[in-house]
Amino acid sequence: MWVGVEDAFSLGANARIGAVGRISELGMCAGEVCPAASRLAPPTRHHPPKLMDIATIIGLQNRDGGWSYRKAGSSWTEPTVFALLAQLCGQSDAQSVERGFTWLRAAQRPDGGWPPSPSITQSTWFTAMVALLPRDALGGSHHASAIGWLMGQTGQETDSFASRMRSELLGTSNPRVGWPFFPGAAAWVTPTAMSILALEKARRHLNSNGIQKRIEVGRQFLVDRLCKDGGWNYGRSNVLGVDAPSYPETTGQALLALDEVELPRLRNALDAAQEQARSCQSSEGLSWLQLGLQAHGIVAASPARRLASRRLVDSALWILAQSALRGHNVFLE
Amino acid sequence: MDSKITRREALGAAASGLALTRCGLVSGSQSTPRVSIVRASYAQGLYDTVRRLLVEHRVDVRGKRVVLKPNLVEFDPGTTINTHPMLVHAALEAFRGLGAADVRIAEGPGHRRVTLDLADAAGYFETIPHFEDLFTDLNTDDVSQVLLRDPFSRLTSMYFPNTALAADLVVSIPKMKTHHWVGATLSMKNFFGLAPGSVYGWPKNVLHWAGIDECIADFHSAFPRHFAIVDGVVGMEGNGPIQGNPKPVGVLVAGRDMTAVDATCCRIMKINPSGIRYLRLAAGPNHLDEENIRQIGEHIKSVQTPFELIPQFHTIRL
Repeated sequence: MWVGVEDAFSLGANARIGAVGRISELGMCAGEVCPAASRLAPPTRHHPPKLMDIATIIGLQNRDGGWSYRKAGSSWTEPTVFALLAQLCGQSDAQSVERGFTWLRAAQRPDGGWPPSPSITQSTWFTAMVALLPRDALGGSHHASAIGWLMGQTGQETDSFASRMRSELLGTSNPRVGWPFFPGAAAWVTPTAMSILALEKARRHLNSNGIQKRIEVGRQFLVDRLCKDGGWNYGRSNVLGVDAPSYPETTGQALLALDEVELPRLRNALDAAQEQARSCQSSEGLSWLQLGLQAHGIVAASPARRLASRRLVDSALWILAQSALRGHNVFLE
Repeated sequence: MDSKITRREALGAAASGLALTRCGLVSGSQSTPRVSIVRASYAQGLYDTVRRLLVEHRVDVRGKRVVLKPNLVEFDPGTTINTHPMLVHAALEAFRGLGAADVRIAEGPGHRRVTLDLADAAGYFETIPHFEDLFTDLNTDDVSQVLLRDPFSRLTSMYFPNTALAADLVVSIPKMKTHHWVGATLSMKNFFGLAPGSVYGWPKNVLHWAGIDECIADFHSAFPRHFAIVDGVVGMEGNGPIQGNPKPVGVLVAGRDMTAVDATCCRIMKINPSGIRYLRLAAGPNHLDEENIRQIGEHIKSVQTPFELIPQFHTIRL
């Protein structure tokens, strides 16, 4: 079964109304709610693909228990995590969920991390995505070794001898350390945001000063990477002296990871995120903005145009964003 | 820029020659690389121009699988950053017309995960019928590990998308742009999009740590069955590949030897090709000399349009 885009927008609007009520009750600010007219944008020449509902997502599960990025593809870690997170938001199929977790547990590498897919012999940032799943469902030992792997990762720019020597000489024992996409590369916004969220969840079970410290410096890394326009891009706010613009998806992810942070600079970031939501051109970007703004008690503005949801990850993220607007944000719980 | 040729670069020239002999998709003797420069516009005659280019280079793709690799980078309604969709559609139709069994369009942007949304904003869905059915997001394609033979970079292997690996011919269709890290981004640099983001991230920063120029040369060797059509109708100068300014040149530059095509593009942009490190690595010095490239169509001088360079690259001005 497929949910029409208009249906999905209606669902979004209803959810927003619900969210505004809930947030208002908490005495927090509420952002703009899209007028009904903007939900019925004129059709484009090609018709934006429809969102998948949870039943469709479950139906796309591979025989091995994982999910792929595209139809008939092999199973990958990221879509499998998103399909499981979406099921945790509401309707779920117990058998499908168990098969998904079984696939994930089998894909874990001996070093405790997860590869992008089992055909790749390297643990990468997707380990943080897996560690966002409930510890009990994943398995305590699997989760603990994932957290151990994450704690051992850092951007190459701070892991180098020169960087460590500089910190030593300057007496800065607390470098602003983020996480890379791939071991041996520099730290960037997306893997850092996801690692912070995973460690924040782990901190509730593991009372560790090390984890708390890593979360703090990771958050400082994100604040350092703010673009001049107020949001975040992949992680370079200035290239050769020229300011670089921010992106919706990374702005939403960073705001999500900074949910407990109160800084004057974040006010600009929240304004920038709202502006991005209005002009957003991707479903994935809008969903991340909704999740990030919701973490700060704000309902994201609706975009001026209808957005296509073309991939499983788009639809799963949409489900997660709508759930957050109803008060159930899987990234923060 | 240091223009000394190292022993390694000389070996690169030999490897380039070897790569040429491995490509059996173009008939006839190819001892001297041939590069076409043709005047073109998006408004008129583009489809016929591209078809004639392929005929001119005797590209034989009958029964073959062809992958068209445009350059999709950012949301850009002005089509300054991304390859113009009409050129990609013209190539699609031309390769189909030449009897290719399968022609796909594929790209894996370096910074943005939302590839299809980028393509939509760039006009690909409106210009190319059934675009989504023809397109593969190389960032999320299934992959295979490939050992790099005698690599220039410190990488010994790379994961590449199966769609690109299975192709009989990969056609690089980049924008003619300056680039703030490597000087110019043309058909060879465009192959960075063959590195899957799902493995290496957004950006594909592993390649930067391994050496951008070296990785460009490695990718060139890893995909020897290639052809290039450079979109120089409107290029980008200054702080490219994203934040530069539009630069109308009004040409397409094409050929089967990507080092020769890119060297010719550099001359059109008034850039010294020997100042582009990845070109020296992949081709060696003599291969880039103007007298060693057979130009077809327009003369370089007749279309030469100096591209503004950022200060870091003033030394490579021709």
